[in-house]
Amino acid sequence: MAEFEFIIGDRTYLAVLKQAAETTVIKVGDSEFSFKELSSGHYEATNNGKQFSIAAVKHRGKFLIDIDARLFEVSESGQEEFGAVSSSHAAEKDKVYAPMPGKIVKLLVKVGDSVSEKQPLMIVEAMKMENQVNSPAAGIVKAVNASVGEQVDTVSAVIELDLEN
Amino acid sequence: MSQFPQKILIANRSEIAVRIINGCQALGIATVAVYSDADKNSKHKLLADESVHLGNSPPLESYLNFDKIIKAAQATGADAIHPGYGFLSENALFAERCQKENIKFIGPSPEAIRLMGDKIESRKVAAKAGVPVTPGMAGCAADIDSFRTEAARVGYPVLIKASAGGGGKGMRAVENESELAAAIEAAQREAQNAFGDDRVYLEKMIVNPRHIEFQILADEHGNCLHLFERECSIQRRHQKIIEETPSVALNENLRQKMGADAVKVAKAANYSNAGTVEFLLDENGSYYFLEMNTRLQVEHPITEMVTGIDLVAEQIKIAAGEKLGKHLNNISQNGHAIECRIYAEDADNNFMPSIGKLLLYREPVGDGVRVDSGVAVGSEVTIDYDPIMSKLIVHAPDRQTAITNLIEALKRYKILGVKTCRYFLTEVLQHKNFANGRTFTNFIETNMTNMPNSSNGMESYNELAAAAAAMLSSKSSSLLYSDIDDLPPSPWQLLGDWSIGSSISG
Repeated sequence: MAEFEFIIGDRTYLAVLKQAAETTVIKVGDSEFSFKELSSGHYEATNNGKQFSIAAVKHRGKFLIDIDARLFEVSESGQEEFGAVSSSHAAEKDKVYAPMPGKIVKLLVKVGDSVSEKQPLMIVEAMKMENQVNSPAAGIVKAVNASVGEQVDTVSAVIELDLEN
Repeated sequence: MSQFPQKILIANRSEIAVRIINGCQALGIATVAVYSDADKNSKHKLLADESVHLGNSPPLESYLNFDKIIKAAQATGADAIHPGYGFLSENALFAERCQKENIKFIGPSPEAIRLMGDKIESRKVAAKAGVPVTPGMAGCAADIDSFRTEAARVGYPVLIKASAGGGGKGMRAVENESELAAAIEAAQREAQNAFGDDRVYLEKMIVNPRHIEFQILADEHGNCLHLFERECSIQRRHQKIIEETPSVALNENLRQKMGADAVKVAKAANYSNAGTVEFLLDENGSYYFLEMNTRLQVEHPITEMVTGIDLVAEQIKIAAGEKLGKHLNNISQNGHAIECRIYAEDADNNFMPSIGKLLLYREPVGDGVRVDSGVAVGSEVTIDYDPIMSKLIVHAPDRQTAITNLIEALKRYKILGVKTCRYFLTEVLQHKNFANGRTFTNFIETNMTNMPNSSNGMESYNELAAAAAAMLSSKSSSLLYSDIDDLPPSPWQLLGDWSIGSSISG
């Protein structure tokens, strides 16, 4: 019997593994899941007679899980987080990033402009589609770190804001 | 006299290149793949008999580069080029260049491509042939006043469309006059980038239409017929994501009428090879010619599944100068087929493209299930090209069974490493308005917005995800995948095949 502790979102889950002959039974909370391995990282799980198709890989310290086409990210408890995750940008409302690597085709604001929440700030082209990027919050444009035609990534802020209040 | 090509160069990449290579191989024709830096381990390159490196990844230096592609054909002795869809498929200059170099272009004549590729000209062709078109400008304009006047005449909402357009690129919907100037500018810029042509025009937006298109085949001897309709109303950002045939909206009478009009348009354009005539169908049963696509369509497999006709084989026969075969005279619609496009994109984030390397990839198999894919484990989805990875097609005796089987197949389709729209597609297919056939082009905006994010409110799923992580951790033999960045696709993962019109049971 082995135990694993995982984190999904802000919750911790204890998984208790009971090995069986053909299937592996894993208990999490009050739920018991029976796993059958189809190929490496590819499983079929059942719970109360309901069947799920599952795939799992571990990549850069995190488990990526596909359950019936839904995606989940699972961390090991106690594991340091590393690698830039784009969603971590969500907390910083004073910085505006390109949603994906691409080319700036239009900058709609300049330093000193006051902007409202959801106001369009720039247009980034990637995969031949134009994507409009809107302001995450109301404020004043403090810096514009790229110019039209420039290639940008998702790690450096393109526009920085002084937030209102 | 028919001159069958001996060796075909496929001037394309990913799933459509793979599809065409499979089609050629079934006919015993040798194949040449071309590939860019980004595609040096790609499935299409490995499957072809020969391959030629084109150069850097940007399309202009690879898949859009006339000289490199012609040179590749000459160096390998290919006597024909199949352009697939996108890239050079609707480029009249390229078709002309092929003619000049004495290489058969598998598609219509340059004149037909030019005529029907221009949205304005093709509207004129349809109108002249007596086929209804939407009210709008007779030609392109550049000054805002012309747009204002025309919009006022036909009434808002209106659409700004690129004359060279397609796939929603260079197209903008405008609800009222205040949005008009910005929409024109954006459409012009997008059209310039996508097609190298910034001409745009305006037409009335048909509210709440269905997208119905007819597959046609025309030979070089003046014969033309249609292979029934495809309904492609389920779209996001004006791009189709689910297509089906037959359409629930057509009765036999309307089907025959629209099919006959599709043939009229093709004949009026002096068209040859495979093509698609697109219509908008409104709720009163009125339909309007939208455009003609002068190439093999992304969603061609559903037509193949219900008719049993291999469209790539037909294209090659037509290009070889053959007349349409007798087997095409009595085709019928057998069962129901639905296709889902599998894009690397984030449905929870406005369908923003998602890039990365495929860490795990398993295609579903089953009765009536077909996957046309261009990827394998280790494939990289980059920003250089369209984010379509594959198409999942299901063929069943009836629509309800097709929907059920498709949802099941989507759940069993495993892709890790990039986000895909698979879960979103299952939600669309499970929606009661989809089941009821209330499928209109605004389906997603109407029915699918304000849905909870797919990762929310799912405690039991989280528990199962934790269990799956434990399962993976417990397998001492399983790779930890930390070095997967260097993993090349294995040729053995690339094999696997399907056949068109295979029998369906049940």
